[in-house]
Amino acid sequence: MTLLSGRLRFPFYAAGAVSAAVFIYFLWIVLGPGPMHFVGGKRVPIGTYGAGDPTGVPEVLSRAPLIERGRYLARAADCEACHTSKDGVPYSGGRAFVLPFGTLYSTNLTPDPETGIGRYTNTDFLKVLHRGIGLGGKRLYPAMPYASYTYMSDADALAIKAYLFTLQPIRMEGPQTNLKFPFNQRWLMGIWAFIFNPDKRFEPNAQRDAQWNRGAYLAEAMAHCGECHTPRNLLQALNNRAKFSGTAQAGWRAYNITPDRASGLGDWSDADIANYLITGHADGHGTAAGPMGEAVDDSFKYLTQADAAAIVAYLRSVPAVATRDLPRPKTRVAPSSAEEGVAGNVSPLGKAVYAGACASCHGWSGVSPVMAVATLTGVRAVNDPTAINVAQVIISGALGHNGVDTANMPAFGDAYSDEEIASVANYVTARFGARTSALTAENVAKLRASD
Amino acid sequence: MIDLQINGEIKHVDAPDRMPLLWVLRDLLGLTGTKFGCGIAQCGACTVHLNGNAVRSCVLPIGSIGTRAITTIEGVRATPSGASVQQAWLAAEVVQCGYCQSGQIMSASALLTTTPHPTDAEIDAAMAGNICRCGTYVRIRAAIKSAAQLAAMRGTDGDRTDNV
Repeated sequence: MTLLSGRLRFPFYAAGAVSAAVFIYFLWIVLGPGPMHFVGGKRVPIGTYGAGDPTGVPEVLSRAPLIERGRYLARAADCEACHTSKDGVPYSGGRAFVLPFGTLYSTNLTPDPETGIGRYTNTDFLKVLHRGIGLGGKRLYPAMPYASYTYMSDADALAIKAYLFTLQPIRMEGPQTNLKFPFNQRWLMGIWAFIFNPDKRFEPNAQRDAQWNRGAYLAEAMAHCGECHTPRNLLQALNNRAKFSGTAQAGWRAYNITPDRASGLGDWSDADIANYLITGHADGHGTAAGPMGEAVDDSFKYLTQADAAAIVAYLRSVPAVATRDLPRPKTRVAPSSAEEGVAGNVSPLGKAVYAGACASCHGWSGVSPVMAVATLTGVRAVNDPTAINVAQVIISGALGHNGVDTANMPAFGDAYSDEEIASVANYVTARFGARTSALTAENVAKLRASD
Repeated sequence: MIDLQINGEIKHVDAPDRMPLLWVLRDLLGLTGTKFGCGIAQCGACTVHLNGNAVRSCVLPIGSIGTRAITTIEGVRATPSGASVQQAWLAAEVVQCGYCQSGQIMSASALLTTTPHPTDAEIDAAMAGNICRCGTYVRIRAAIKSAAQLAAMRGTDGDRTDNV
């Protein structure tokens, strides 16, 4: 006599198969490659790598005081972007990160002893930066990219701390992070960190030259590019099998930065990428806005040319991954007359809004008659059939950057309805892009809420 | 110091790169014919020409202008289409309160430079960014058409010196 009757046997096997599949999926996640595993080659301790030390500050700053070195490194690590709230004092924290399971707030990095990091010893600081463990053993969520910062050398981390301790202490108790169960159980993050945080300092790759290793250090331990540009798995760890192939971030699309020709940076020259990082603009490819605009303003624009070139060299070495929905940007210029070149399936509302609010800077051809930063032809976001970033930049504008041609797009979010923004975004992709988007008013409402 | 070429003259301006051109024109150079409306490129009152193109000076940082020629309402009469537009504006008595009209005239004259005989649709597309609370749109459209005729007549009269 069997324990299970024939009728019950099928669900039993089905449950077994599902558990096995779940187990294999988690095994696949857990055994995922690290951020620099895409290249083979032997990793060696920094002291034994012959071509110099890839960590630290550039040559020009090598004799600068500790605090100045720390400032360069704090900028390279872009602490400021996340640790500053909208219109808040830099580094005083309180920026909200709205997630599906609640809202996270960044902490105050000024040296205030009560609300900031004033009581952190060097050991405490290294523990939070490398392992995600705050004072009193409080586990941090991986929104703080300690799985990237873990590669930072102790010396660099402590230089950053020295710089942060020179800031004006700001007494600022930010709002408390508020997540739903079970995500509010911080101890679970210990398990997460055990699985996904390598807790290892950077080791140069002996088969690669000094520039590549410097680029790897800057991109991984400092700029933490992957935290936005690499997709995440179900457990919110980076899926480095699709490294740098792009994902959604804070309501914007962080695009593919692999060397893929159509959807990545394959068509960009080295100078294009370096200019984009340092000035926020690359002719014929676009202008940084949204979270990348912040990364340029707070971080990349302070890098030396050599450091920017090192990041470029590193980006070039990453395996090309295609993003299926992103066509190669259209480089053909649209007609300069408003009467030509309009796709028939786009609502006239989009054209009306474009004529009134956009054409005076962006022109009808897509090549701006005013400023190179305002050219739409060839721009990735305009050639993205989801039009997410086009809508976002219309809503919140684009200000800042370091170039002579400073981006100066006003925020139109309060001036136009969801339907008007959707229509004009669709008109822009239809007129200047490779594929027409089909954004709806509902989509725009969601984008407004996600920012 | 930044050098700007405004209405045919070089002006030395002591202002940061990021200052919008409108601020320089009105506050530093006293060229108050160009108006401040909204400050976010939404109303067209601040329109000037940059190498003949109509641009919104309220969002144009002076650091991005370089050597390009700026024309304001004070200097538009010297441009080929500017004189015709101003003449047509007077003849049609387009102006009511007048606040937006500097911008309207600048956009209209830029249009006629690139498109000497605009259709209604072309006028709509070019003038859409210039808002008039008095509702002078009908007279604006009529004046643009008569300015186009005036400019054409000048051309056939051989009155070339005015135009070059």
